[in-house]
Amino acid sequence: MTTDRDESRIRAVLGDVTPPPGLAERVLRAVRARRDAAAAAALRFDIVATPDGIARIRLGGEGRIEAAGARARRWADRARDELGEYLAGLRTFFTVPLDLSGVARFQRAVLASTQTIPFGELRAYRWVAERAGSPAAVRAVGSALGGNPVAPIIPCHRVIRSDGTLGGYGYGLPMKERLLRLERETPVLVACTTTRVLCRRGCERERRVPEERRVVFASLAEARLAGYRPCPICRPAA
Amino acid sequence: MPVACDPSDAVLLRRTARGDEASFATLLRRYERRFYGVARRLLGDDRDAEDAVQLAFLRVFARAGEYRDGFAGATWLYRILTNVCIDAYRKRRAEARALGTRPLPASAPGPRAERVDLEAALARLPAEGRVVLLLRYVDDLPYREIARVRGITVNTVKTHLRRAKLLLRRHLEEPSR
Repeated sequence: MTTDRDESRIRAVLGDVTPPPGLAERVLRAVRARRDAAAAAALRFDIVATPDGIARIRLGGEGRIEAAGARARRWADRARDELGEYLAGLRTFFTVPLDLSGVARFQRAVLASTQTIPFGELRAYRWVAERAGSPAAVRAVGSALGGNPVAPIIPCHRVIRSDGTLGGYGYGLPMKERLLRLERETPVLVACTTTRVLCRRGCERERRVPEERRVVFASLAEARLAGYRPCPICRPAA
Repeated sequence: MPVACDPSDAVLLRRTARGDEASFATLLRRYERRFYGVARRLLGDDRDAEDAVQLAFLRVFARAGEYRDGFAGATWLYRILTNVCIDAYRKRRAEARALGTRPLPASAPGPRAERVDLEAALARLPAEGRVVLLLRYVDDLPYREIARVRGITVNTVKTHLRRAKLLLRRHLEEPSR
């Protein structure tokens, strides 16, 4: 049962909000800047692959690929496609395998816990240290991440200081900021209003959904409540 | 079954798609206040709200070419806004939980004690429920329009609103009765 009194209370509590002065002008400037930047060169990268997966990535490279054998070549091609989509804001997850056999044990533990940080989210160095089983080794975590051979597939850019400042990044802070902005701007869980399927951004099914049928959800649970089901291909969780 | 449909939104969107910045600026001024109102109340933070509004309008500009008739301009615009806001809400909520910092503030601007109480109650709603509530009681969109914006059924819209009201009533009336 609902009453008008409830509704007027809701309206009152939601209150009135005035946009900050100059908002429209700032948006217009951003649109112009974005339009001009669109012509700028896309970010390129070099890839080194082995038959077991991707061993090294260099952001800002020249687009070179090093891969011995057909299997390694296949991983390299997949990594190139997925990285390109990721950097274009079309993908939120990677499926290409990694070959970290040349990485020392502690660093591998640090990279493994970093890999669990979801797209678009941030964690503190301390969080990574705890997950890697060395809660006191916060500084060592910083250097282990600095030597991450497969950024941004292992997303060390999502690790920041607990005071909210960015900390460091192997490719420099402007690159860290660029990747974090990209992830803030890329939606994660996208559903189609006609098929009622919820995908992770980057799934082949998600890519076929036209703009006017896209709805973004905050979680799988909320999507389910609204009558959507998870895609069996990309299997969105949480 | 008329929908809140302003044909000139559609015209402006089509012109924006052709790169007409003046039409885009008109849309921007027309929706600035409404967009900011939804974003600020959902995200609870001035800077996050401004980021979300900016991102939504960037997307409107970039995607205007994909706007099709048969979909009211306002519906299309609100769809883009709520998609951006829900995603921002998701990322911030998970992050706040993990970092133990920057908890998602629920407070709307305003000092009254009742408002603070109610806000605390409303903050317990899921993101989807909050968005539905805002579209209904701040922007006065009809149920059917909200359903279209969010790709949900009218019944789901009603369920969200009913839960919100129940939560509020429980929260408000317990101390006084």
